Amino acid sequence: MSAVWITVAVLAGAACIAALARFVWSLRPQREMGGMPPAPLERLGWIGLGVTAVVGLGLVCLVVLVGTDFIKRDSTARGIFWLLMMSGIAVWALAWWTIKRRAGGTVVDERDRAILARSLSVESVVVLLTLVTWTVALTEAYSDEGTLPIEYLQLIFWSTFILGAFGRSLGIVMGYRREIVLDA
Amino acid sequence: MPKANISNHIRRLRFENGEMTQQELATRVGCTRQTIIVLEKERYVPSLSLAFLIAGVFGKTIEDVFEFSPDD
Repeated sequence: MSAVWITVAVLAGAACIAALARFVWSLRPQREMGGMPPAPLERLGWIGLGVTAVVGLGLVCLVVLVGTDFIKRDSTARGIFWLLMMSGIAVWALAWWTIKRRAGGTVVDERDRAILARSLSVESVVVLLTLVTWTVALTEAYSDEGTLPIEYLQLIFWSTFILGAFGRSLGIVMGYRREIVLDA
Repeated sequence: MPKANISNHIRRLRFENGEMTQQELATRVGCTRQTIIVLEKERYVPSLSLAFLIAGVFGKTIEDVFEFSPDD
């Protein structure tokens, strides 16, 4: 891959992360809602955003520091990655259990379910964008060789998994900032 | 299909019913307090079943609690 493409990719990635961070910041609870406490599912959405951001950045750091084949080649890096993944899932599950316990009564109602259903569209867009990005990048990088290193399969799966969860959390948080009219 | 504007009198009815709290109403109809808050702010239109449940708590009909006015 040429230095130009790497520079373009890094700059585009940084711009995307900056734009995304700015957008997420704009979704924080507003004063117009009169200091309304977030719904249990909304809290889980924010926690999901945090967890997936940390795990995703951890994966990026491992790839940058160790290489794209860290899962196959480096047992320490592989251990760190699995620890990161399991910790992320454990934090998310513990957060949901704690939120449910504290909330008492109804935790997820019809409005939450409608928001959860709509968040799937955000997740789908994020997953599609992830796969398109991988396809374009790998095609550009390995078109001359005609074959792909096997380790990219793991990276494609895990990045799609993490970004899909990020997209679902983002969709949930976005849903609570919109007016909802049930059509049914 | 025209967009419907649905207003409601939940806030007034709560106070007329012994100053019922949002949490109490939410518990009685099986939703979260946040949903009652956005209902009162008219930022959410409930399902028919939730509308019936809310009206039932106040001993009213749906028409007494919710008002429908289609947009032009």
